[in-house]
Amino acid sequence: MEQHQTEHHPQHHEHSEQNTEHHHAKNWYDKSYKFLLILPVILIVFSLFYLYNFNNANGDIIYKDVSLTGGTTVSVFDKNIDINKLGQDLKVDFPDLLIRGMSNIRTGGQEGFIFETKAEANVTQTALEKYLGYSLTKDNSSIEFSGSNISQGFYQQLKFALMVSFILMAIVVFIIFRTPIRSLSVIIAGLADIIMTVVVVDMLHIQLSTGGVVALLMLIGYSVDVDILLTARVVKDHDGTLNQRMFGAFKTGITMTLTAIAAAAVALAFTHSFSPVLSQMFTIILIGLGFDIFNCWITNASMLKWYMEAKAK
Amino acid sequence: MRLGWRVWLLGVFVALSLVLIMSGPTQYKLFVLFLSLGILFVLQFVKEKTGKIFIVAVFAICILFSFYMSLSQEGVVINSIDKNSVYFNSGIRAGEVISQFNGINIESMEQYSQVVDDLFKQNEEIKVTINTNKGEYIILTNQTPEFSITDLQKTKLTMGIDLQGGARALVQPETNITDSQMSDLVEVARNRLNVYGLSDVNIKAVSDLAGNKFMLVEIAGATPEDLKELVAKQGKFEGKISNRTVLAGGKNDIADVCRNNAQCSGIRSCEQGTDGYYCQFEFAVYLTQDAAKKHADATRNLSTDSSGQYLSDKLDLYVDDSYVSSLFISVNLRGQESTQISISGSGTGKTQEEALKAAKEEMKKLQTILLTGSLPYKLNIVKLDTISPTLGNQFTEFILLAAVVSIFVVGLIVLIRYRRVKASLALLFTSFSEIIMILGIAAFVKWNLDLPAIAGILATIGTGVDQQIIILDEARKGVQLSLREKMKKALFIVVSAYFTAFVAMLPLFWAGAGLFKGFAFTTLIGITAGVLISRPAFSEMIRMIEEKVN
Repeated sequence: MEQHQTEHHPQHHEHSEQNTEHHHAKNWYDKSYKFLLILPVILIVFSLFYLYNFNNANGDIIYKDVSLTGGTTVSVFDKNIDINKLGQDLKVDFPDLLIRGMSNIRTGGQEGFIFETKAEANVTQTALEKYLGYSLTKDNSSIEFSGSNISQGFYQQLKFALMVSFILMAIVVFIIFRTPIRSLSVIIAGLADIIMTVVVVDMLHIQLSTGGVVALLMLIGYSVDVDILLTARVVKDHDGTLNQRMFGAFKTGITMTLTAIAAAAVALAFTHSFSPVLSQMFTIILIGLGFDIFNCWITNASMLKWYMEAKAK
Repeated sequence: MRLGWRVWLLGVFVALSLVLIMSGPTQYKLFVLFLSLGILFVLQFVKEKTGKIFIVAVFAICILFSFYMSLSQEGVVINSIDKNSVYFNSGIRAGEVISQFNGINIESMEQYSQVVDDLFKQNEEIKVTINTNKGEYIILTNQTPEFSITDLQKTKLTMGIDLQGGARALVQPETNITDSQMSDLVEVARNRLNVYGLSDVNIKAVSDLAGNKFMLVEIAGATPEDLKELVAKQGKFEGKISNRTVLAGGKNDIADVCRNNAQCSGIRSCEQGTDGYYCQFEFAVYLTQDAAKKHADATRNLSTDSSGQYLSDKLDLYVDDSYVSSLFISVNLRGQESTQISISGSGTGKTQEEALKAAKEEMKKLQTILLTGSLPYKLNIVKLDTISPTLGNQFTEFILLAAVVSIFVVGLIVLIRYRRVKASLALLFTSFSEIIMILGIAAFVKWNLDLPAIAGILATIGTGVDQQIIILDEARKGVQLSLREKMKKALFIVVSAYFTAFVAMLPLFWAGAGLFKGFAFTTLIGITAGVLISRPAFSEMIRMIEEKVN
């Protein structure tokens, strides 16, 4: 019977191979899982410390772009303009300006540029028109303006929304898993994902837009999925040893996360050349998914194992 | 192969969604519906394998083809038409699709305005031939057609202005106002934009988490350059004689304003000045008895000016407290209750064409303000986005491409990881079916698909794929449990993840004056359709595939 199955199912062979691998992993993992928890603790403490300092230095835990501070974004379709020169020349009048090129993803050729500044829309438009020598109409440009009050209001509300989302998610996790430690390990892993992602975003000097904050909110959904999978498999399943269940969950979870990373990377590659908003969202999701691997399989997994081992005794 | 009811349910939903998304003749829609259901029947009842694959392939190609046909229609739709125009009298009605204008094929709104502008440069009578889907109209006129038009919708999906181009303004009253005051404001503003000739306008009152109230104005496609003035200028019109207000805009004083009738409204002359051209416009205004009486009272005691033709004081016109122009009052109107006055003004520009355009716009604006009266509150534009339609089209194309490539990459990874062609195909099909269902529901409830909504669709596909992997893995795990029980366990994880994602999306409905609603909407629709329809169907497909293998 065994023989018969191996012939028809190559994956069975794979399975037994994993069992031996898993056997090696087990000894090492059983000894060191508690020590592994030091890693997330160090990272979380470092992140909180970093964000505290960042907040003291910059007045907030993130850099914000004009969609959160107020200002103007002008996208101009101009295949010929020298974008670098434009940036240098207008830096005098708009010291805070940020210029990005837009290009065609098929040909790679320049399509135009995106000009961001905290200045008012008509000031920006006039200055650009003067520099470019033609007037900006709806055929050759898009202009987006947000007043500073409204943008700051949006930012406060998005922060609030992010917090409420997180709390609601935490409540649902509590309802699903009932006991505090199982639930807390999921919630802490999710929180660590977001905090660590924000730190990397700061280190990369990314100015967060409204889309970026929404992307952080999306991370809640992504990270919790895998954490729920792990906890459900460990707590609800009864086949195999604890380590076997965890390793099974790991195989599924890592496939999930890697596929999500691949999909987000493809989407980033496509949107990078023409949409700063979408490309920022995908960058944040990529960073977050990376940390999710760490937080799910080290932070959450170790806490859960600790809990299960303690319960077994 | 017996399809379970869950797969049937998914198939039927996808078929219905396709029909909901499609625009165009009913026969196309029925054809697509018939073929998609046909595929399900073939899968269910045809036993012979090659024949089955062949029929399914043919059906699928036919579906794609009729979808393509419905996408390649061209023209512009008339949304509304002035009932006093010669065009209306010649039989053209709202809802018709203009395909040709004087023999030129019309493919877009921009092209339409271009053609019309070129034709009606001079104020002379010309022959106009308009071809619509209802027939051909030949009209001899000097009237510019006062249609409000939109691009023919190729699908039933409505794109947000950040994808199809247009303008969006978030306007805040300077003072705190109540909800009912806000809805009055919205009414006046809507009326003003309609009178101006913009009917494809979406205006609504919105508020944010902090309790601020805004008016959100969204105008799709082509927008006037001076949208700012239309939505945020209070437009308080006053006519003063000897500094006494005798006339205000709105229906108390203004009975009617002559528009689109060359006899009492239009450009009277264009001349070259020192720095460019200027064009003079003039139109008649009909006053109510009340206003006429006030007018009579104010002029009764005026003396005659030096020329002897006019009165010593003029009628000075102000818009938003700034002076616009003055009208001489003929001597014979002194103390008379005249109900008709004629208002004139001018527009300037570098070329005659520009001046003509400026004069026309200025006239239209004044007419609009006179007819609709002023907005009841002073307003501030706190956010104003004007998005070029050129960008929007490219954008949609790129995003679609990104989504399709992402899904194929995911399919490929799953194929490499599990080495199951059928399972990978099932996963691809399920992911695409989720997109189609989200779009179908969006089309059904006429949701505006904006950039956040698209991001939401991408997010949904991401979580969807994740959960399908859970199902796939759970099915292949160990052998102690029956497949049915394994599916049940997988669905527990799926349902738990669903509820966490669901509650996490809720706050976005209210944050930021609802501008991120789109994200929450598509995500919620997507994950709900996922958990109720496509995930159960997917696990049934996997069960079918796995049971066959074992």
